[in-house]
Amino acid sequence: MTVALRCVLIVTSVFLTWFMLRKIRQSKIKIEDSIFWIMLSLLLVIFSLFPGLADILSDIVGTYSTSNFIFLLMIFILLMKVFSMSLKISQLERKVTELVQSLALSETKKGEKKDGADQKDT
Amino acid sequence: MDKVLVIIPAYNEALNIERVVGNLTENYPFYDFVVVNDGSTDQTGEICRRHGWNLIDLPVNLGLAGAFQTGIKYAYYKEYAYALQFDGDGQHRPEYIGLMREKMDEGYDIVIGSRYLTEKKVDSMRLVGSCLISAAIRLTTGVSVKDPTSGMRMFNKKMIEEFAHGLNYGPEPDTISYLMKQGAKVSEIPVQMDERVLGESYLKPFNAAVYMGKMLFSILLVQNFRKRD
Repeated sequence: MTVALRCVLIVTSVFLTWFMLRKIRQSKIKIEDSIFWIMLSLLLVIFSLFPGLADILSDIVGTYSTSNFIFLLMIFILLMKVFSMSLKISQLERKVTELVQSLALSETKKGEKKDGADQKDT
Repeated sequence: MDKVLVIIPAYNEALNIERVVGNLTENYPFYDFVVVNDGSTDQTGEICRRHGWNLIDLPVNLGLAGAFQTGIKYAYYKEYAYALQFDGDGQHRPEYIGLMREKMDEGYDIVIGSRYLTEKKVDSMRLVGSCLISAAIRLTTGVSVKDPTSGMRMFNKKMIEEFAHGLNYGPEPDTISYLMKQGAKVSEIPVQMDERVLGESYLKPFNAAVYMGKMLFSILLVQNFRKRD
């Protein structure tokens, strides 16, 4: 890895961490959801500070250069994140559907009860 | 009004809820309570309705933090002076509610029912986690909390208001640590707890490890940068 790449990685990581902490402070994100991003920047910082570690891993995997290995790792991690977010979005959509339905149904039930009471009166 | 509201979040606690709330209504009828049924898939809701207990039925599962916040919001709108977090699985004994309430009079914001105040911690994996969280809280706030993972906590009016509207305000040790850092006064009283009798605990070993990691991360790193608005 070149010094320039390492610097870029460190700067982006620090910026990302700072950004996440700011969002937590503004109550814009749940702490659980920020863990992923902060851990990711920690990983990048580790690789930039100790490029030997990335070299070894790169040799094991068999990528041409260490920077290629970093790219591959990033793509892999982001792919996993997208996958887990797809799952989460599906669950969220199901929950919203259920919520809207139960709200609408309970409104209908209330209306029917009221109608029934009115008819009794007359 | 300085009444206490006992908030009982329940998720699939059909095996326990009858015994727990039954005990509360029979022996301690002077406490108001509300069961928050967190979208259970079993009979939890029906059992409560059959008995005519005060029940909030969530149509979907929100998790402990969301369910507890629902109860806190209820306490907020009904203007209760104190709210107590109480487990639906029978671990907590209602006889300590009065003692916790008395402790609040000494001017504390949060009172925790602590298992380890008088007894020494016995050596097991769960307690290692508890010790770690204790150490993390002592490191960031300088105050020692003996049993931060205890789920039996009483909050005063000021805290109720904050818990009702905040985003990162789960009823967990990291929130306690954060509030202490922001100047909330926290105390503990010794309580005894029972083992869960029936049903399965959420904290299986793997979940427990993940939970510990989350808490430590949150207490040591994130909470230091949070600011109260």
